[in-house]
Amino acid sequence: MRYAQRIGRLPVFGRKVRLAAAMLVAATVAACGGGEDDGAEASAPKAPATIPTLTQDPLTLSFIWFEWPPAQALEAFANAEYKKQRPNVTIKVNTVPNANWHDAMFTQFAARKTDFDIAILDSQHIGEAVTNGNILDITDFVKQNIDVKAYNPYLLAAYGQFPQAETGQRDENASLYGLPLLGDTWTMIYRKDLIGDKPPQTWDEMISVAEKCQADNPGVSGLAFHQANGSDAAAVTYNTVNGVYGGNLWNSKDRKIDGVLNDQAGQEAMDVLVNKMKPLTAKGSGNWFIDEVNAAVAQGKACIAFQWIAASGGLLDPKQSTLGTSREQILDKLGFATLPSQKTNLVPLGGMGMHISAYAAEANQAEALNFLKWFEQADIQKKWAAAGGVPSRTDALQSPEFLNAQPFNKVYADSVPRMRDMWNVPEYARLVDIENTNVNAALNGAKSPKDALDDIAKEQQKVLDSSGRKGGGGL
Amino acid sequence: MSDPVAPPAPGRSRRVSDRWLAVGFISPAMLLLLSMSVFPLLWALYLSFTDYSATRGGPARWIGFGNYTAVLTSSQVHQRALTTLIYVVGAVALQTVLGFTIAYLISRRTHGRGLLTTLFLVPMMLSPVVVGLFWRFMLDAQFGVVNSMLGSLGLGQVEWLTQRRTALLSLVVVDTWQWTPFIMLIALAGLTAVPKYLYEAASIDRASEWFRFRTITLPLVWPLLLIAVLFRAIEAFRLFDLVYILTSGGPGVSTETLSFHVYKVAFLGFNTGTASAYGILMVLVVIILTQLYLRYLNKLKED
Repeated sequence: MRYAQRIGRLPVFGRKVRLAAAMLVAATVAACGGGEDDGAEASAPKAPATIPTLTQDPLTLSFIWFEWPPAQALEAFANAEYKKQRPNVTIKVNTVPNANWHDAMFTQFAARKTDFDIAILDSQHIGEAVTNGNILDITDFVKQNIDVKAYNPYLLAAYGQFPQAETGQRDENASLYGLPLLGDTWTMIYRKDLIGDKPPQTWDEMISVAEKCQADNPGVSGLAFHQANGSDAAAVTYNTVNGVYGGNLWNSKDRKIDGVLNDQAGQEAMDVLVNKMKPLTAKGSGNWFIDEVNAAVAQGKACIAFQWIAASGGLLDPKQSTLGTSREQILDKLGFATLPSQKTNLVPLGGMGMHISAYAAEANQAEALNFLKWFEQADIQKKWAAAGGVPSRTDALQSPEFLNAQPFNKVYADSVPRMRDMWNVPEYARLVDIENTNVNAALNGAKSPKDALDDIAKEQQKVLDSSGRKGGGGL
Repeated sequence: MSDPVAPPAPGRSRRVSDRWLAVGFISPAMLLLLSMSVFPLLWALYLSFTDYSATRGGPARWIGFGNYTAVLTSSQVHQRALTTLIYVVGAVALQTVLGFTIAYLISRRTHGRGLLTTLFLVPMMLSPVVVGLFWRFMLDAQFGVVNSMLGSLGLGQVEWLTQRRTALLSLVVVDTWQWTPFIMLIALAGLTAVPKYLYEAASIDRASEWFRFRTITLPLVWPLLLIAVLFRAIEAFRLFDLVYILTSGGPGVSTETLSFHVYKVAFLGFNTGTASAYGILMVLVVIILTQLYLRYLNKLKED
């Protein structure tokens, strides 16, 4: 009897389950259908040419960046200076670990809602953000409010233009999506007390000097540079050597990487990096990035190191260094120079621009435009330089406020005409990951240099060619 | 004066009120489950048949099993599957042996058992990110305490995190350090539940220590231990945090696990459709293996 009752109830229960499942599926499909509308507009919305009326209510203007000293410098500087003009505004620079930087911004962009008003994007992120309509097109605003002639054209293009500019140029007909915040490039840091006051002038000379220094000073490695497979660490290292040895990352016109990156110059660069430079680094340095290189220099464990200028300030802090008990003592031992040249004199373009979130509230977007206009003024740029920032306006770059602020600032000013950037395309995140992992594999003996370079070229080409592919994108 | 024992107030039928009461109690949990687990799972299932990208937006075009075929035939996925398999087998086997041994030794103590158990459980209570970070410092080839200790013993430096074999071994060791206590705890529960009279009877029969272990302890603890192994294997299969912090999948991609690879597919290029298919396939693998395992457990119980 009980069995019969159970049997009798099953269909009712089954119907309910089916009904619930059908409702869930319907809700899912409806939700997905809603998602289809999201992408109907896939280009960047335009910012007004003139700044709208600003609010007088208290407002917090939020930035997103990664955790490093310039982030704190920006927040302190902006709150001290911008408040003089806009006392009701508080600047908040939210930071995330460097490795999460891209994801932290783009997952919020994906949600079409951001807790930041200004995204500090790497130059190579612009393509992805513009194509997805995540940041404002500020071309008209720039025409009306910014003195573009005050800038080196390539710097203005690198931090704001899309499609990407040719190296060293700016396309005046292209749209702008951001303005420079912090310029950057690599500096060569060398131990004056170990290799002399005069820095090596060519890459080959640099390697032989490092080799001799390592042999003469047990416990000190010849070189220290970025090798990690996170962020863009190992990729920038290879790209730098590639540029110096006359290689190219790609042919941007026909989107060709295979056969370009791994040509003879590219292979020579990989050979130099893996077989000549890597043996001069400390054991186990295959996962080093900014902090580890700084630690090696500060502890006197490297003859020559390569580092981003914006991350070099801590090296002069006696509290963090074993090289001296004062800044002057440290500077007696450390020298900063532009990168040696070889077949070319190219250096990597670093730094970031400010880009306004398309999903920020209107009042915040207006305030962000006002901030951009304020920040790019000549006197503010000089103050930013004095506060530890690296400006992009030519007058600020050549000002005593900038050149005298830090011993490596002249390196930056001298490097500006030599800069080259990576690919600024929507596929950037995948391209850089492919390069990072393969260069890291070559540096740590997991792949031969030739295989690593060929794999980079093939896999990157596959990414660029896969736009029409059905399924499996990302593999 | 009022009647001290008032009759129940007339109301709706008891059956209806019980039913509403049940619905009232269950619905918050059900709503949470549906909105946080079932709905996202169904949506991911739907997206896995499309080329949808969370950042690019645009319509989610139906592409059938395209993503599934691509994931199943990808040499990149095969490589990560092998890495994950080696890691799961290595870590879980080591944790089982160590966890059971520690539990066995603790169970034989009469004094300080509680304190010892609590101390052993500390690693399990830490966040994997914190564990990853301090092990990263400890295993650093230049500045780490592990190489420093090896150096003081006259041994050479080991590149723990930057060589293919040692990097994977480091992941196994760190995971084992953190999760051996879990196995230990379950095994200890099993060991303390073994009836004492069995051991007493064995002692009267002058059974050796090894014989008692083999014929009493192990058979009675074994089913519980296997459940612990199942939980650990599922956890290890979806390892992400330790890889992210300790090696970032390197050198190269040699310590990239399946979960870490899914993360890259999902967030580096925002290939949401492919990542959804990849995730669904991982869930299927776990479900199928768990079912096989549970059948084995049931058979063991019946035997």
